[in-house]
Amino acid sequence: MNVQIVKRGGRRGHETFSRDKLHRSIVAACLSVRSSEGGAKTAANAVCMAMEKWLGERPEVTSDDLRRVATRTLKIHNPEAAYYYSQHKHIV
Amino acid sequence: MIDIQILTTLGIVALAALIHASFQLGVSVLTLLSGHSLSRKQSQFRVFRLTTSFVAGVATMSLLILSFFALFLGYVTTDDNHVLLWSIISGLLIGVGIAIWVFYYRPGEGTRLWVPRGIAAFLTDRTKATKRSAEAFSLGLATVLGELPFLIAPLAVSAYALIHLPAAWQVTGIALYVIISLSSLVIVWMLVGGGHKLSAIQAWRERHKRFLQFVAAAGLLILGTYTYVNEALVLTGVGL
Repeated sequence: MNVQIVKRGGRRGHETFSRDKLHRSIVAACLSVRSSEGGAKTAANAVCMAMEKWLGERPEVTSDDLRRVATRTLKIHNPEAAYYYSQHKHIV
Repeated sequence: MIDIQILTTLGIVALAALIHASFQLGVSVLTLLSGHSLSRKQSQFRVFRLTTSFVAGVATMSLLILSFFALFLGYVTTDDNHVLLWSIISGLLIGVGIAIWVFYYRPGEGTRLWVPRGIAAFLTDRTKATKRSAEAFSLGLATVLGELPFLIAPLAVSAYALIHLPAAWQVTGIALYVIISLSSLVIVWMLVGGGHKLSAIQAWRERHKRFLQFVAAAGLLILGTYTYVNEALVLTGVGL
């Protein structure tokens, strides 16, 4: 999957979508709210699958869009992790 | 029996420290640090060690800056400039209070603060990279420096109030300031240590951010007005 992600504000360039990176960040968000490792991986797999489907017909998306859609899907599986994931860039 | 002047000064210090405690950069960085530590599947003991080191770093830098301010103000204070210095400090408290009232949090969701974005990015990156206690301690030191534009007012008024006390009471006052100013951090530290979820802590912070902003701003305005009336104006003899 060769989807370009436009980084925040467009000033930090592009990068290619990485399923592993998204998976790691979702697992990290789940573990941060003390979910089990198994639960975290299950939620991350579900989010990655939904994300790949959503990205299917899009050549380019912004990182904010990516985060918003990932949060929406994660909310179904782990609402607390979804909240923390959505807040992560807005804490400091 | 403790002298009323000492009690008044300790009251000023305690209120300034409470205002310091209501500032949120330290709590934000501690929340992030806890999140990164938990996401690395570190043991509860390691998370506890990192967060404890961070709080120790914040305490150390608060202590150092307060002591430095007291030393500096002790040098520049003469018999002739008490009124001027109290007026400047009162003005600083009121000015920072208004600034906090107007723009403490950035617009939008979350708890992003009006600290320079470069400092916020540095703290965020360092938080992510922090894996050892010494790094967490340094992060605590840097966090206090990052919030200095807001902290300067409560630190300055406490330092200037304390230098008028006998030496033993100065030490007591400094200890009182550091302990009270750490209260919000210690609460979050205990919540994280007690197994509470970061999402719940962050949700509480986001829900009550306007209240915390109001408390900090109102506290500074009240303290600034009090020191101006009770210290600067009284020294000039106005109203007597």
